[in-house]
Amino acid sequence: MSDKNNKIPFNEDNYTHNIERNNERKLDRRGFMKTLVGAAGVFAVSSLPWGAVAAKELMGLGEKEYPHKKITDVSKLPIGNAVDFKFPGDHDDAILIRLSENNYVAYQNACTHLRCPVFWVKEQGEMVCPCHHGKFDVETGAPTAGPPRRPLPEIQVKVENGAIYAVRVKRYEA
Amino acid sequence: MKRSYIGVIILAAILMMNIVFTQYMVHQYYYENYVNVLIFGGLNIVLFPLAVLAYKKTINIRA
Repeated sequence: MSDKNNKIPFNEDNYTHNIERNNERKLDRRGFMKTLVGAAGVFAVSSLPWGAVAAKELMGLGEKEYPHKKITDVSKLPIGNAVDFKFPGDHDDAILIRLSENNYVAYQNACTHLRCPVFWVKEQGEMVCPCHHGKFDVETGAPTAGPPRRPLPEIQVKVENGAIYAVRVKRYEA
Repeated sequence: MKRSYIGVIILAAILMMNIVFTQYMVHQYYYENYVNVLIFGGLNIVLFPLAVLAYKKTINIRA
């Protein structure tokens, strides 16, 4: 490469001095389209694990069985009252509510918005999250007001010999 | 040389659909509608060969 075009003002004897040939085809239309196709590929690959965990849940492999845990005695829980407990782990807060003589509901009470503890308001008949006034239906755990959009994970309970046990939890991957 | 940008437009549309489907897929997962997760995941995967096809079909079109 000669130095003749590096002088200022240079002696302009060619018409290509402003073209960087090496970078010419870096992001032309074709290269841009290839990038788009590659991005579509990334999306396709990244949706595989979601499909896998969804299929796993559908086949029932996600239904874990935890050791049954005694929550409280039936005699200690009057109708309309609630009791807090931990299930399945020691750090998974949950709440048990006795709606009628034989109707118990239990949920993991971490709000599905930002995981504040949801508590039971007997007078209103609702479960309320104090942080942003999210409300949940007590029968189903479905959100009825406020920021949360997903239902609370439900815990199955059973009554045996005058005591209430937590059996299993249908939970979210938080 | 005059180029056709139809391919770019198609691919951008495909990418937009990818984003929408992914968003739906993740949300449906948390809603525990696992069948919908599979549907949207499948759509996302189908879009990739479509994108390759769109690229190959439109790469030599001249306006």
